[in-house]
Amino acid sequence: MPVDTKRIRGPELSQSPLLFVSPVSEVSSSSSSSRQGVRGNGDVRPVFARCGLVSQAKGSAYLEAGNTKIICSVYGPRETERKDETDMKSGRLVCDFRLAPFSCPKRGAWIQGAEERDLSAALAESLQPGACLHRYPRAQVDVNVVVLENDGSVLAHAVTCASMALADAGIEMYDMVLGCALRQDGERCLVDPDLAEEQSGAGENQGRVAVALLPNLNQISGLQADGEMREDTLTAAVRTCVEGCHKLYPVVQQAILRAVKKKAPPPPEK
Amino acid sequence: MSPMKLCVPGERLCSVEDCTPGAGTYLRHGSVFASLAGYVLRRNEGEELPVISVVKETEAQLLPDVGAIVTCKVTSINPRFAKVHILYVGSTPLKDRFRGTIRKEDVRATEKDKVETYKSFRPGDIVLAKVISLGDVQSNYLLTTAENELGVVVAHSEAGVQMVPISWCEMQCPRTHNKEFRKVARVQPEYLQA
Amino acid sequence: MAAGFKTAEPLEYHRSFLKENCRPDGRELGEFRPTTLNTGSISTADGSALVKIGNATVICGIKAELATPTADAPDKGYIVPNVDLPPLCSSRFRPGPPGEQAQVASQFIADIIDDSNIIKKEDLCIGKSKLCWVLYCDIMCLDYDGNLPDACIITLLAALKNAQLPKVTINKETDLPEVDVQHKRHLQINKHPVASSFAVFDDEVIIVDPTTEEESLATALITAVTDENDQLCAFHKPGGSSLSAEKLQGCISRAVTRNREINKLIDRVTESIKSTK
Repeated sequence: MPVDTKRIRGPELSQSPLLFVSPVSEVSSSSSSSRQGVRGNGDVRPVFARCGLVSQAKGSAYLEAGNTKIICSVYGPRETERKDETDMKSGRLVCDFRLAPFSCPKRGAWIQGAEERDLSAALAESLQPGACLHRYPRAQVDVNVVVLENDGSVLAHAVTCASMALADAGIEMYDMVLGCALRQDGERCLVDPDLAEEQSGAGENQGRVAVALLPNLNQISGLQADGEMREDTLTAAVRTCVEGCHKLYPVVQQAILRAVKKKAPPPPEK
Repeated sequence: MSPMKLCVPGERLCSVEDCTPGAGTYLRHGSVFASLAGYVLRRNEGEELPVISVVKETEAQLLPDVGAIVTCKVTSINPRFAKVHILYVGSTPLKDRFRGTIRKEDVRATEKDKVETYKSFRPGDIVLAKVISLGDVQSNYLLTTAENELGVVVAHSEAGVQMVPISWCEMQCPRTHNKEFRKVARVQPEYLQA
Repeated sequence: MAAGFKTAEPLEYHRSFLKENCRPDGRELGEFRPTTLNTGSISTADGSALVKIGNATVICGIKAELATPTADAPDKGYIVPNVDLPPLCSSRFRPGPPGEQAQVASQFIADIIDDSNIIKKEDLCIGKSKLCWVLYCDIMCLDYDGNLPDACIITLLAALKNAQLPKVTINKETDLPEVDVQHKRHLQINKHPVASSFAVFDDEVIIVDPTTEEESLATALITAVTDENDQLCAFHKPGGSSLSAEKLQGCISRAVTRNREINKLIDRVTESIKSTK
């Protein structure tokens, strides 16, 4: 195995203490048909959103949904590093998606893993239809996302957070892009699942769906579904996600307008 | 006065029959939509339809475009071309660095075959140039200085002193009185102010 | 016009302020930016802290794992600090392996941990040559606006104070560790080092807590780390203009007062979090 000489290394092998927790203490809740607490199965978690926190970036956003915490910054448009034919006509959207090492129950590595690369690609594909990239020929826009705490539905919330950062950066967009995820567990359908809900469950009709939506144009720019679901369940799931996205819209709108007002007073009317 | 209307990207502003789409907007299915987050401005210009635009606090990020006059700094030269960094587009500073190339044949308008890049630019010179092409896969922005108003505006002599232009192709160091060759720009009075 | 002057002649712009004994952001030469702290906000980490010094923002998350001690130090655990400067925090950083600056910062933090004995590594041992704790202290910059060392050390110290480890015993029969998440204890903090950074302008003017812009224009950068007993733990001055002994002494005494301020801040935040629970 190659040795990472650029970081401070610990012991070669270390294990999470969670592996040694006596299994008695864990209470299984997957049998109950509804969520515990006040949140219903169809409810999204309350979202806290702010724009313009990173002073160095062109635009930035922070989003908190339950315990999931995501920060995103946007730089550019700047000169492309890699060049090929397609760049001549339109700009490039470069996404970097990272899970902080302390963001998951088990410590993650610094080096970007396969999961993060998949999420980077999914994020870029979901955002691209929303951005007017043809206005930025030969240039690239960098979108950097860091998940500070992962408590489920990271991709969906990262999409929302990134589109807020793009709007804050003044990158021209056809529409906002909002994300919503769903966990299908048998007949139970959980919107905006947390990490425990994402991973629990067994049996038939199991799946995860994440949808990215352009709310005003009413177009879906990204759809990721895995697991095994019946066709009708999937159709219903996508519809539920779209509804979930619309619920987010007022919060997102407020956060962006707040940042616009904070940055400058209205221009004088001529 | 009522507070100004704000919008986020994707909001429908009006029908194309009411307004002409301006900056920060786009047209789709006969309606004008916002493409930026900002204040909605409606401006009447004569008899025509008012122009609707969305304004953000900072000016929209400009990219060098064909025909734009740019201010750049020479970074390196070789017999065929000079490489530059574009610093300003018009009078707007760029936040990020963009690279450009001035080829030998684009240095001046006449006697193109006799141009020597070493007698036109030196690294560190500040040059006014015009964008002629966005370039292709291999090259950067292509620039030209083949106009009287374009060329070197600020240059330092070997003694490190800012030189004064004495003709369209020579500059002189005020300390050593050495003359050096440059493709000098005839600076227009409006630029002298800045 | 002022904006044009600032971009065209940044050094002259700063000098014109320093002449009047103030700085472009309105601070005096010896004034730190407002420093705020938040601890325990990341529930997936065993300990966490977020520090803001002006705009500069750094977060630290501590993850504890179990490992076997090394053969040459069978009664010691590990502390593994790493500083990451992701492309998120500034346009000067690119994705990929850590750059020079991040490596230097990581090593600097590691040296301070070793030299000052923030935590006795013996305390991290559970069973001699069998089992010990590894504390992965992952420090991530979220907004790079200068003065990285100060922010990193404050966030590290606050996160260590915030960290709670579950009780671990070694089962005599199976020889495997048993973790009891119901009983958690705080770490024993041995020393409280705090860093103070300075920038030198034109070989003579010293300012504290430089921003990115000030750092890039300065002729030298200094970081002094002191602990609560006014002892100097580390002094870092990588080249740059030479300074008189008196001036360096001045920096150290400023660092001593800064240490008091910061430790008070950490205590206050820790208290307020306890009382809300």
